[in-house]
Amino acid sequence: MTIENVLLVSAALFALGAYGVVSRRSLITVIMSLELMFNGVVIAAVAFSRFTPAAALMSGDPVTAEAIRSALTGHVFAIFVTAVAAGEAALAFALVFAMYRAAESVEITDAAEMKN
Amino acid sequence: MIMEVSALTTIAFWAASAMTLGFAAIVVTQRDVFRAAIALAGSFLGVGILYFVLSAEFVGVVQILVYVGAISVLMAFAVMFIQDIASGSRPSQGRIVGAAVAVLIFAALAFTAYNTNWSTMDEITDPVAVAALTEGYVEVGEDDNITVVTTAPVGSTEVVIENDGVFVDSTSALGVSLIREYMLAFEIIGLLMVATLIGGLMLMRDPPKGRDEQEPEPEAEIGGASV
Repeated sequence: MTIENVLLVSAALFALGAYGVVSRRSLITVIMSLELMFNGVVIAAVAFSRFTPAAALMSGDPVTAEAIRSALTGHVFAIFVTAVAAGEAALAFALVFAMYRAAESVEITDAAEMKN
Repeated sequence: MIMEVSALTTIAFWAASAMTLGFAAIVVTQRDVFRAAIALAGSFLGVGILYFVLSAEFVGVVQILVYVGAISVLMAFAVMFIQDIASGSRPSQGRIVGAAVAVLIFAALAFTAYNTNWSTMDEITDPVAVAALTEGYVEVGEDDNITVVTTAPVGSTEVVIENDGVFVDSTSALGVSLIREYMLAFEIIGLLMVATLIGGLMLMRDPPKGRDEQEPEPEAEIGGASV
């Protein structure tokens, strides 16, 4: 398990999600694929946190508690991305329901018009 | 500072990766949307295990709580609410384009991952930093002094450290980090959640029974009176 391996998995997950976003027609599966892409990005953030040193620890200055905590910046990033993705998913489904109510369909091709 | 990875961790990493990518492949190819939603939960669980393997325990727990617990249920509800989804999600004509985009993205990212000279933890030479990251880290007081709790066995000269220090006790350091360095972002996330909640309620409420239905009524009454 090296950083290259982890980044490879992250890239594969991101690419699979991108394939899903482009190739699927149902809005629900497009949102699912978007979530996969989010996860791929977060894996990369956590991997950087785990395998690469924080800049503050290599500067040569006296090590402070804040510098030590900066080793966990990737984790903080992961938590914020998760929170935003959760909100985004909830709102996206509300939009899908609104579209289903208006157009009786959840296919992307039927969302071309934005009337009313 | 050597952070060695044991064989068991490597096996767990590849198993979790296989689980994640396998379920993700099902999500993007399965025609039955409900099965895709179930596979999505499996994929999220695999990512959660991956975080544990990467010694990000708190992120792993958050992943399982939020993604496996909440978003998967949301997906399943969405699939069940929308009836005609049972007919399946037909692939659009963009299949070949999608495959091409995915292969290009993957190739670019993999090329970058393998051709970059990543700096490693070995480059940390400061003994206090090494100790805090590998042997244990306890924060005291308001000042910037740090206390390092040594967990290495006494007398051992060469200790191979896999996960320890900040990367074992990441939860407490993460909590301190969230309320100090990232306080503002933390508050703004709360604001975002409120905005999301209100936005979701606005979108989901029943369409107002105003104009469309009220206006015909007086006409009907007038019509009834005239008869």
